[in-house]
Amino acid sequence: MTTPFSPPLYMQRYQFVIDYVKTYRPKKVIDFGCAECCLLKKLKFHRNGIQLLVGVDINSVVLLKRMHTLAPLISDYLQPSDGPLTIELYQGSVTEREPCTRGFDLVTCVELIEHLELVEVASFSEVVFGYMSPGAVIVSTPNSEFNPLLPGLRGFRNYDHKFEWTRAEFQTWAHNVCRDYGYSVHFTGVGEAVGHWREVGFCTQIAVFQRNFHDSMSNAERLEPSVYRLMYKVVYPSLSDNNIYQRTLVNEVLYEAQHLRQEWLSRMDSSNNAHFCAPPLMHLFQHGAEGGTRDWQPVYQQGGTICVPLACVWSSPRVRALCGSVQRLRQELLEDERVRMSADGTVLNLPAAEEEEEEKEVEEEEDVKAVSVVANSVEEDWDRELGCCGNI
Amino acid sequence: MTGRARARSRGRGRGQEPAAPGAQPSVQQEAAKPVMHTPPEGQLVGRGRQKPAPGAMSEEAMLQISAGFQQVKIGERGGRRRDFHDSGVHTRQLMEHVKESKTGVSGTAIELRANFMRLLSRPLWALYQYHVDYKPPMESRRLRSALLFQHEETLGKAHTFDGAILFLPNKLHNTETVLCSETRNGEKVEITVTLTNELPPSSPVCLQFYNILFRRILRILNMQQIGRHYYNPDDPFNIPQHRLTIWPGFVTTILQYESSIMLCTDVSHKVLRSETVLDFMYSLRQQCGDQRFPEACTKELVGLIILTKYNNKTYRIDDIAWDHTPNNTFKKGDTEISFKNYFKTQYSLDITDGNQVLLVSHVKRLGPSGRPPPGPAMLVPEFCYLTGLTDKMRADFNIMKDLASHTRLSPEQRESRINRLISNINRNADVQNELTTWGLSFENRLLSMNGRVLPSERIIQGGRAYEYSPWTADWTKEMRGLPLISCMSLDNWLMFYTRRNADVAQSLLQTLNKVSGPMGIRMQRAIMIEYEDRQESLLRALQQNVARETQMVLVILPTNRKDKYDCVKKYLCVDCPTPSQCVVSRTISKPQALMTVATKIALQMNCKMGGELWSVEVPLRQLMIVGIDCYHDTSTGKRSIGALVASLNQGMSRWFSKCVLQNRGQEIIDALKGSLQAALKAYLKYNNSLPSRIIVYRDGVGDGMLRSVVDYEVPQIMQSIKTMGQDYEPKLSVVVVKKRISSRFFARIDGKIANPPPGTVIDTEVTRPEWYDFFIVSQAVRFGCVAPTHYNVVFDSSGLKPDHMQRLTYKLCHMYYNWQGIVRVPAPCQYAHKLAFLVGQSIHKEPNMNLDDFLYYL
Repeated sequence: MTTPFSPPLYMQRYQFVIDYVKTYRPKKVIDFGCAECCLLKKLKFHRNGIQLLVGVDINSVVLLKRMHTLAPLISDYLQPSDGPLTIELYQGSVTEREPCTRGFDLVTCVELIEHLELVEVASFSEVVFGYMSPGAVIVSTPNSEFNPLLPGLRGFRNYDHKFEWTRAEFQTWAHNVCRDYGYSVHFTGVGEAVGHWREVGFCTQIAVFQRNFHDSMSNAERLEPSVYRLMYKVVYPSLSDNNIYQRTLVNEVLYEAQHLRQEWLSRMDSSNNAHFCAPPLMHLFQHGAEGGTRDWQPVYQQGGTICVPLACVWSSPRVRALCGSVQRLRQELLEDERVRMSADGTVLNLPAAEEEEEEKEVEEEEDVKAVSVVANSVEEDWDRELGCCGNI
Repeated sequence: MTGRARARSRGRGRGQEPAAPGAQPSVQQEAAKPVMHTPPEGQLVGRGRQKPAPGAMSEEAMLQISAGFQQVKIGERGGRRRDFHDSGVHTRQLMEHVKESKTGVSGTAIELRANFMRLLSRPLWALYQYHVDYKPPMESRRLRSALLFQHEETLGKAHTFDGAILFLPNKLHNTETVLCSETRNGEKVEITVTLTNELPPSSPVCLQFYNILFRRILRILNMQQIGRHYYNPDDPFNIPQHRLTIWPGFVTTILQYESSIMLCTDVSHKVLRSETVLDFMYSLRQQCGDQRFPEACTKELVGLIILTKYNNKTYRIDDIAWDHTPNNTFKKGDTEISFKNYFKTQYSLDITDGNQVLLVSHVKRLGPSGRPPPGPAMLVPEFCYLTGLTDKMRADFNIMKDLASHTRLSPEQRESRINRLISNINRNADVQNELTTWGLSFENRLLSMNGRVLPSERIIQGGRAYEYSPWTADWTKEMRGLPLISCMSLDNWLMFYTRRNADVAQSLLQTLNKVSGPMGIRMQRAIMIEYEDRQESLLRALQQNVARETQMVLVILPTNRKDKYDCVKKYLCVDCPTPSQCVVSRTISKPQALMTVATKIALQMNCKMGGELWSVEVPLRQLMIVGIDCYHDTSTGKRSIGALVASLNQGMSRWFSKCVLQNRGQEIIDALKGSLQAALKAYLKYNNSLPSRIIVYRDGVGDGMLRSVVDYEVPQIMQSIKTMGQDYEPKLSVVVVKKRISSRFFARIDGKIANPPPGTVIDTEVTRPEWYDFFIVSQAVRFGCVAPTHYNVVFDSSGLKPDHMQRLTYKLCHMYYNWQGIVRVPAPCQYAHKLAFLVGQSIHKEPNMNLDDFLYYL
């Protein structure tokens, strides 16, 4: 089937979900019929606060093949995100009740229901709306009224479609669901025809359901799957993991402190004037924005130590972004063994001199034991041994 | 592998079943049927080497196998087909004298452990290859596999299918199985599964299969693939000062080794940087100012490899598009989209600096399904992470120290890291599950084996001989106060210094005088010349003062900045051939170290002028040793530089050296052929005869390049020798030397895990059955793990016993004059490396031929 749409229709469907996520910021999202995990992969980038992303498909082979595309990228480790993210993939059917699928904020069923037999649609409704009862459900399905506009199409759009609904049929089903399970719905879609053809509606019709009642499940503890089979699970590195947070913060602080130290040392070197050092412009500027340079303290030397006041490090935007307050920063740093701080926690101590390349000769101890005998002093002649001394 | 399985792998398949063409004949069998891979015509023409191939392996069978081989791409990333393990290069069978045995006898036995694990398979294990046919034919690969695996109960859980070829660990009941499937819209499809091959455990396809399986295992263990290796992202360490992140990981390969299929695994580290190219540009701009920024930026960035933030791809920066910013647009499909919008909609990435210039990378990778490369890629600096270490970082002692403290592992630490991987493999249920469905497992401990420690050599110097401590492998102390073999007297020499270094220059001169006496070097006072601390004035000073009769030029450099060093070397190696010695003032500024430094300088200057320091006994006469190495110059258009160094005398103390710059599209050996002839002529001049034996040590052969050495370089070397006279037929051996290998050995000394002592030879178990190869641990290291060197004798008409080959090689590791101890490779390789490096780093031109007979590049 050629796509008269640009961007292609499937992209528009994904974009619809992404836009929804951007507006409503669900924390837990489950995608039924995730197949090649394309939507999950997109949502992984367009997170907007998603913390749990689950994909379910009945076909485990597809999942196995594609699951590693959901693994964190190298950059996710290099620059951990602020919020946590866990991705899980299950093999299972939307017509089965699985306890661990309850308590979600959003369920997406993109082009799924038309692959079910009509009898299965009923149990699908019961499972998704009645049993899982998520905060919102996005269901998309072909609008059969649009079909005459698709060039060369006979029958259904896909060989595996069991039905294709008109707008009225889809809306009847949706309203019944709302009545039975306490949801409200509005209809929209993607892929519009032009001109007077607009009347046939969207190529893909979409129903967005909102739950009418408050649900107590959303904060419930996550359960182990009992019906579905867990195929893949990955926890993304994030700053909400304490170890990662600590490590990132300390790295940033040490980077900043080392640079201030280096800057100070090179200025000392060039001016040889140890009494005064002006704050670097960048810092002045930032502090200006903070309301004056009153609390600005210079880097100074004390014996073999370069002292970098915590306030200097605090002025780094990166450190600020990581740490809400100087107090917290101090607390975090005092706990870390990689950072040397003054007793009152106001100054970072760094060594003044770089360690020199050691060039001293280490006199090896004499009592090394002999590993093997020294070659015997009898002169060898390999040529003769080989019997080819003749030609010499 | 079990004994029975192995026995079967030697022979053909059982009874009526199709033969297994992938079977790798063991050595014994090869002896009976010598030629499995017939070298192309006109190559390797030696005595008794041109027997016709008895049909152990028909050409067609080989083709069939390699066709299957190429199609096995289960879960493999990238389309690279290069064989990094050099399998299929069968050189041993062509050398009569090592067919039976390639092991030596000298030395004392030592118990070792190696970083190898045996792969075990259940008895009679084989991989069954099936051809799968669909009626009616099915186009979609996905559909094909979905239809086939409706029959999982027939086919079993473990399977690997690429759309046409199916691999199973179990044999189906019938040779031909017909299955019926139904598509979702009710179409009936008949699937015929036909057995085409029964692959024994050691067949090439199986080996590739194991490697793919093992990668799967590493992925299950949550390791990240970067390049060819796997790293653990959950346990990084950082060097915050430079925003470096280091991931520990493993290099792994599963191959057929001497007696069994084993997994070789070594610890590896990946340096990543949490600094984007934009960060780097900012700080560079701050450092050098707006004016010089474009030039500096190009110089620093071009050639670097970057990693993109939004996928795991790496690119080489080839250029900077100064006229492009993220607001420029590109064509995506048939709409124009700006980079800014693209990244926003595609990856939800915001560009903070709209004025950053873009990077250009000329992508060489082919487009999807072999289409031509899509043209240069434009990259946004903000989304590109720098990778690896820059030269600047490498030169920074403190960074390297920090790095080493994490990456340099003691033998004990290294062994325990590897053991931890082994126990992870054995403990992880998913991994075990994956392995057992395939009927495979790994032995859960490292391989124990025996090596031999060669006797230490006697160092001969000035008519006397002494021994060195075998553990330190160093004779700095022993040689103190002993005269050298031959000394060049310094009658006419110059010392250049800057005003600031006038004092250190004087004290160096005095100390040189003091230390040179006991060595036997007569030294006249140097002519002292002061130069201004600028490159031009240094050059001018050289031009004005260095004369034809000048024997040596010593330059004291104020800093270790490369430009002045390059300037000295360029002028004195090319324009005005004179031995020269550079020394950075800092090195000689510490009075307590001056004696040691001056001694080293005196020795080095003596070598550069043609003096000889020490020697070892070489019990072969009329022998010429040749060392070849290359240097790949990335800065000047990736031109390679080849260096050839050949011995001129019995004591291996005089060397002929030649360096050539490779032309585009030329093999390095083509350029070196002339050098080899020149070396033979020099030998003739010195000895009044040509050598009757030539042994070539070829270093700098990359992974997967062995085939071209065997098929191309060896015949070229022979041709080159032939030009010396039709009846001149010296015995020739060609040994490929490899330093970058992942084999490691551990010894147990005083109950502690330690490095094997220098002189340890390993020539069993972990060597390759199809090669005449061995390992030698020649140097001693004070920290970390010693790295063994791998020697692969790819051609040998010398008839030398393996024991002699090993000992000769070890002896040559004693002969590098820039180090008073044993080095990692035979001296000629080390010399060739040094020469190629000097030319590639500093001179960029062929050195003047008047210097050929001197070790001027030390």
